[in-house]
Amino acid sequence: MRISLQWLSEYVELAGVSAEELARRLTAVGLEVEGLTRLGQGLEGVVAARILTSERHPNAEKLSVTTVDRGGGAPPLQVVCGARNYAVGDVVPLATVGSVLPGGQKIEKAKLRGVESSGMLCSARELGTDADASGLLILPGNVAPGTPIARALGLDDVLLEVNVTPNRPDCLSHIGVAREVAALLGREVRHPASRLAEAGAPAASLARVRIDAPERCARYAARVVEGVRIGPSPGWLARRLEACGVRSISNVVDATNYALLELGHPLHAFDLDKVAGAEIVVRTARPGEKLTTLDAKVRDLDPEDLLICDRDRGSALAGVMGGGDSEISAGTTRVLLESAWFAPAGIRRTSRRHGLKTEASYRFERGADQGMVVPALDRCAALIAELAGGTVRPGVVDAHPRPHQALEVRLRWSRPAALLGSPVPQVEARRILGGLGFAERAADAEGARFAVPSWRVDVSIEEDLVEELVRTQGYDRIPETLPAIAAATPLEPAEARTLARLREALEGAGFSEAVNFSFVSEPDLAPLRYDLEGRKVDGPAAIPLKNPISTDLGVMRTSLVPSLLRNAARNRAQRVDDVRLYEIARVYHPRAPGGAGDEPSAEGLRVAGVMAGRRAPPGWAVGGEAVDFYDAKAAVEALLEAAGVTGARWQSPGAGWLHPRHSARISAADGSVLGTVGELHPRVAAAFELPRGLLSFELSCEALARSGSLTPQHRAIPPFPAVLRDLALVVEEGIQAEAVLAAIRAEGLVEEAALFDVYRGAPLPAGRKSLAVAIRYRAPDRTLTDPEADAAHGRIVERLRSDPAVRGELRA
Amino acid sequence: MASLLAQLESLSQAAARDIAAASDEKALEELRVRFLGKKGELSAVLRGMGALAAEERPKVGEVANRVRDQVESLLDGARERLAGARLEAELAGPPIDVTLAGRRPLPRGHRHPLTRAAEEIAAIFARLGYEVASGPEIELDWYNFEALNIPADHPARDMQDTFYVEEAALGGAHRSGSVLLRTHTSPVQIRAMKRLGKPPVRIICPGRVYRSDYDQTHSPMFHQVEGLCVDEHITFADLKGTLAAFARAYFGPGTRTRFRPSYFPFVEPGAEVDVSCSICGGSGRKDGKRCGTCKETGWLEVLGSGMVHPRVLENGGIDPSRYTGFAFGMGVERMAMLKYGIDDLRLFFENDLRFLRQF
Repeated sequence: MRISLQWLSEYVELAGVSAEELARRLTAVGLEVEGLTRLGQGLEGVVAARILTSERHPNAEKLSVTTVDRGGGAPPLQVVCGARNYAVGDVVPLATVGSVLPGGQKIEKAKLRGVESSGMLCSARELGTDADASGLLILPGNVAPGTPIARALGLDDVLLEVNVTPNRPDCLSHIGVAREVAALLGREVRHPASRLAEAGAPAASLARVRIDAPERCARYAARVVEGVRIGPSPGWLARRLEACGVRSISNVVDATNYALLELGHPLHAFDLDKVAGAEIVVRTARPGEKLTTLDAKVRDLDPEDLLICDRDRGSALAGVMGGGDSEISAGTTRVLLESAWFAPAGIRRTSRRHGLKTEASYRFERGADQGMVVPALDRCAALIAELAGGTVRPGVVDAHPRPHQALEVRLRWSRPAALLGSPVPQVEARRILGGLGFAERAADAEGARFAVPSWRVDVSIEEDLVEELVRTQGYDRIPETLPAIAAATPLEPAEARTLARLREALEGAGFSEAVNFSFVSEPDLAPLRYDLEGRKVDGPAAIPLKNPISTDLGVMRTSLVPSLLRNAARNRAQRVDDVRLYEIARVYHPRAPGGAGDEPSAEGLRVAGVMAGRRAPPGWAVGGEAVDFYDAKAAVEALLEAAGVTGARWQSPGAGWLHPRHSARISAADGSVLGTVGELHPRVAAAFELPRGLLSFELSCEALARSGSLTPQHRAIPPFPAVLRDLALVVEEGIQAEAVLAAIRAEGLVEEAALFDVYRGAPLPAGRKSLAVAIRYRAPDRTLTDPEADAAHGRIVERLRSDPAVRGELRA
Repeated sequence: MASLLAQLESLSQAAARDIAAASDEKALEELRVRFLGKKGELSAVLRGMGALAAEERPKVGEVANRVRDQVESLLDGARERLAGARLEAELAGPPIDVTLAGRRPLPRGHRHPLTRAAEEIAAIFARLGYEVASGPEIELDWYNFEALNIPADHPARDMQDTFYVEEAALGGAHRSGSVLLRTHTSPVQIRAMKRLGKPPVRIICPGRVYRSDYDQTHSPMFHQVEGLCVDEHITFADLKGTLAAFARAYFGPGTRTRFRPSYFPFVEPGAEVDVSCSICGGSGRKDGKRCGTCKETGWLEVLGSGMVHPRVLENGGIDPSRYTGFAFGMGVERMAMLKYGIDDLRLFFENDLRFLRQF
């Protein structure tokens, strides 16, 4: 809401308070002043000047040489001028030597084609007040030379941009802000006087009003003004409207807007001659009904839309926008003026349904002042008579099915202290509430009831009254304390601890954390929800948004991987080739049918990563090799270790979006799935315009937390020595290391078996590989002898030979 | 016999001379082989003993052993001398290039600045006894709006442009428009009160929130931290003290706070909280110039807060005639921008490693 201080000062004395001070104090009571504009700023060196003489420039056809009187008894100045739209005797703006115009032009004493010029006569555009550059701005002849141009143009005003929160519609007007200012300065509000002169036939004989939807329209009051002449508004009024951001249209329409900005109550003027039957009916729309609104749009109405109708048809969308048919036009002579009160929710629904947000709907949906219906009507009718001539017909045509009931709210004197931690003395509470228009009704020792003024739609409970007290006094008066609550030791949920450890593990493995939007494009998710033969992967589709920013952000992620792939592509485009990124965030799935709880979807926490480029940045000592599956696996192993998961199983292949031969799924010892890791499927890589060989993993944080233990359990250090033996086993290429190690570990004396080499090539035949394993034997209760160890080793060799899952031979 | 003894004598002298002259380990080894080796000079002398009389042999043997011991001890001494000299030379020699990068196979990764900021905020409140709570991001209208005193058709809904979820895709029976992406972390207040059942309630909830607004200064997804404290006798003074303590812990000990009346439907009274500008220290001027961070006001608006509205307590299952509470919320992006000097919101979500590596 833009507030003109000049205008505001009509309703409350502002003397002795600077604009800045006022802005600060309004902000302090909750009316945040977001901007302060001094009109006429930059016009300090421009004054009114009367043209005394004008002659043709001796050396230039298009220029004239003038002498002007700049007031103050100063001698006339010679000024060269290029315009021709003036006459000797006109008063025009003179930019004096040394001034700087709003456009940045500095005025200096100059010679133009050999003739001295001491200043510049200005057009409206040069002053920055209008786009008109056709000639000099001609001022009214009664402006005295020497008058600062800002004052001559009515620009000696300050505009405050006030951020009015949705609960305070009463402050969407000058009178509303004046009430606040009066309360905070302890001054009086001066209500505008309505010099209403009624004459002629009673209004009730000229128009009728009927309300068919009283639950939607508590009151509809109308006046009739006859004999008006439509024309432009006087300059002072147009300027006030424009300063507040409202375009001047015509005297009658401007009068309604002026009353709106002054009193905050929306009004509407109909051409009474176009109101069929001179009858106003307030009703809801009929099925299939249409209305052409003032913006020339034909609107299909909803049966819930409230209409202002004449005898035959709809003529306005109530509280939102007038209709084209009954609009005030140049030929209008008889005006029916509407001032009504509409229920907020219905206005808001209509406004949203039709995408129509107007000054009227904005106020009605927040709650207009029921006490202002008739005062605003009277004020506006008087204005119309003043601006457009015409006679106000006696009386108000008033349908008032639901009279306003003033709310009474009780304030216990003890309540401010209980809520604020700092008491407000009774006398102070009474003074503040009284100043804000709350009338005290019944008082006793414990408290008093206060009648809420009709404009304060935001006040309905005791806490609201306490807020009135504290916002007036300022929060500065409240001390700072810390809550006296019994000490508690908040438990850190195991999941939170797991998350912290997962982050540590991945960062230790060189991964940096990414944060991506939770919504992605459906095509980005598609490759991750289908296997590459086109079969849909088990599980439901992604949840779409109804009103996404764009289709690129259209569905809720079911996997973190697509976003990370986009991040990898982006970084590579920026020539950052070594990419290790992880993200920990939620994924969203529809709930399983019949699921309990009141969370609308199933949200799961995932940890995912991508890696590309080199194992380590090439340095003088190490690095330079490209990452492969085992680097990604190392990152996942770090995750498992961090989560305290032991005995995880790795099985080929991984998820369908991974390379079927270079990927694994990871499950916990109990078989529950933890996640997947591997090289990105070459076709998925192509879809994301990534090179081959990119690695990725995604695991469920909940599954990790469930399967892991963050508390290590001590085992005694063995007191007896171990016996070490190595073996090298030749097996088929397809045999996985885990099968060999499992067969070895099946021997009771084996404490640990670790694979330390894989060898292919001569003298081994193609299709076979040699696995070298270091085995540590130990007996828990005695020193193991060499013959015992040899016997165990022999049993292992035999088992490896005969186990159908291994079929290995000792390497010769 | 005399000749053998003379040979031993000359061997001993030659050894002493040559060993003293040896300049490295290799020369010493050659000398050891030459004098004491199987085919060395001492062995050659001893082979001559066979020609001696039996009573002479012990005498010569004794001398030969003495010479052997003598040579060995000379060799040992020489080795020690050489090793010492070598160590001295090494210790006095040129240093290695200590400016080459350390042999670390992989630099550590970096935590996202939003996570860092949120963790720091949560850690401060953890010290004040707050427990971390969470709630769904795909949320019901009731929790996000209705229960927070923002009924349908209330203009306060305009304060938050909402993303709605296609309820048909959720499988459950949801009214049209009743499922949305939470626009703030405040619904967690209701869920936490309902879950905990009775005060004291002291929770903090960091998380993602969503609003349908996307430009230079608005992101459709951003992060908030919500706080709630409910018990008997909780007052606005407690809110002030708590947030002042928080501001000092987060922005530094000299930080001042300022409370201004404002409107959030779920609190009454409500307040915006400004902190003294962390960049210019509240002076509005930095290095003689206008402070761009606080726009010369000296204050930064960082928090919304207030006393929990009685209807919100009721919706959380808590008796507002007995208990009071305060709630507050802040934007993690803003807190991170102020802390780390980040001036562009979009950097947070581009995940450019050149940005992430700075944290």
